[in-house]
Amino acid sequence: MTSQLPILAVAPLLFGAFAVTAGRFLFRRANYAVAVLALAASFAASVLLAVRVFSQGTQTYFVGGWPPPIGISYVADPLSALMLAFVAGAALCVFLASKAEIETSYPLKNSAFFALYLLAVAGHMGIVITGDAFNLYVLIEVAALSGYAILAQGRDRAMLASLNYLFIGSLGASLYLLGVGYLYIMTGSLNMADLAGIVSGMAPQGLAGSTALAASFAIILAGLFIKMGLFPFHSWLPAAYAFSAAPAAALIAPMTTKVMAYVLVRISLAVYTPHLAWSLPAVNALVVTLATAAILYGGLCALAQQSFRRMLCFIVLSEVGYMAGGVFLGNRTALTGVIYHIFADLLMTLCLFLCAANVERATGGRLSGLGGLFTRMPVTAAALAMGGLSMIGVPPFCGFFSKWYLLSGAIQSGHFLFAAALVVSSLINAVLFFRIFEIALFGGPETRDTPDAPNARNGHAPGSPDAAFCAEMPAQRLVPLAVAAVSLVVMGLLTGDFVTRVADAVLPPGL
Amino acid sequence: MHALLADFGGTFHYYAYFAVMMIGVYAMVAKTNLLKKCIGLGIFQTAIMLFYVSIGAKDGATIPIVDPALGTADPALYANPLPQVLMLTAIVVSVATLGVALALVQNIHRDHGAIEEDEILKRLRGQ
Repeated sequence: MTSQLPILAVAPLLFGAFAVTAGRFLFRRANYAVAVLALAASFAASVLLAVRVFSQGTQTYFVGGWPPPIGISYVADPLSALMLAFVAGAALCVFLASKAEIETSYPLKNSAFFALYLLAVAGHMGIVITGDAFNLYVLIEVAALSGYAILAQGRDRAMLASLNYLFIGSLGASLYLLGVGYLYIMTGSLNMADLAGIVSGMAPQGLAGSTALAASFAIILAGLFIKMGLFPFHSWLPAAYAFSAAPAAALIAPMTTKVMAYVLVRISLAVYTPHLAWSLPAVNALVVTLATAAILYGGLCALAQQSFRRMLCFIVLSEVGYMAGGVFLGNRTALTGVIYHIFADLLMTLCLFLCAANVERATGGRLSGLGGLFTRMPVTAAALAMGGLSMIGVPPFCGFFSKWYLLSGAIQSGHFLFAAALVVSSLINAVLFFRIFEIALFGGPETRDTPDAPNARNGHAPGSPDAAFCAEMPAQRLVPLAVAAVSLVVMGLLTGDFVTRVADAVLPPGL
Repeated sequence: MHALLADFGGTFHYYAYFAVMMIGVYAMVAKTNLLKKCIGLGIFQTAIMLFYVSIGAKDGATIPIVDPALGTADPALYANPLPQVLMLTAIVVSVATLGVALALVQNIHRDHGAIEEDEILKRLRGQ
């Protein structure tokens, strides 16, 4: 039983998706419970798996009993097992917290939403655990297709934004596939562990020695950057996340960009090995420059936003810059920072998007409408403060430690521009969140439903204000939010353990 | 010149897939009609399938199904089955992608009464 844990982490979601689709006709009322059960089972399996991996070392599961390189293997090492647990936990939190939204935002389509939600989570978890380069492509598409469908339902131009995301996202995934094709021509294998051996044997001096391998690396990178929303390829992200209904954004925003950053780390670490991944100076310089631009662009655009969720979307853009740039700074400290930041950013984004969902429900989500938040919605406001402080990088929140590692890495490698961008981004975040704190502490409630309020003009808006502005939210919404907020501190306090047990375990020695 | 041509004979499928792929990208970038963008996406993905199948091809080899007359001793008699199998999966994925895209286009047409991107944006602004 326990040796099957890697597949058990993903399987309940797939079966759950079938069950809720069938349940549409059989047990409609119980559908929500079935979906919660599937998510909880998958979360439990991933936690057990993580415990097992930390006590006994890496677990490998051969799907269908076929050993690699013929079959597909699922590999749970400390990094992927912990990532799996985080993704499953985040999905469960969002699902529990957004029950009311799901019922109002997706009227008559609850079962379809549940099925798509479970599939999206299954896709993301599969991406994290798979050890096969082609299977990764399929799972990217499973995660993305269900994501497009749930992001499409929302305010006026959600559908158009989601279609644009589909075009750009498919382009990115197809580029990844193309890169894997070149890799396959050169190596004849698709299993990541197998690939690593062949690739490093083929180009011992660096990727510049083999044009085809260098091309495969560059094409895969281009594909992943498009899927991550790195600076010049970012245009789909804010639109797709800002116009959709709140639960979809709260699910997809913490997951997709972070899981793609994880894939970037995995491909650089386990397929090409850092030594080869960093062997093309032009690529390193280009990526770090793009990342610097992404950090600054995201921050500056966030300053211009009037809506809370849209502001968060641009902060996500600059966080993507942290992770993409960090991978190519070329030293162990920065890579540790990136691995840490993937987890930290997942928690911060989760916490803030859950806050955004609550705030939107109560006030409509414009920044100017946040007046009096601390007295009216103390728990949400406290979580927002914690998420904000973590984004700014105040110790002991986890955002501080990832910035610390990235900054040290940038200075070690002499990328002072990137280091400066990190500092500027912290300052911008400070401006953004202290502006919110000021409104929330000292501002009075705004007269609502002004004609230009984005939610005033359509029926099934995610943020149609509740009648009672806020008799705070029900516990079902607050508990997941509180869990997310507290985990920011816990993650920060456990930084030392994290670095020794996760980052050091997956980073090759002597890097 | 002859050497160049001989080289081209061995690699022309790369040029071919690349040309088809760029046609797809052009359609996705330059067209404002959402359906034409969908077609562009289809062309783009098909180009990659073409690429994969072409790398599994061998001169004078037959389809990768064991033929009793040929036996299994010499793999050079059969095309490489793996890229073809991978592309079966990719075809399914691209059909699903196209399905989602068309469903979205249909809904956009229902909501906004147009499938020209600039027209939809104009209507959204004029709302």
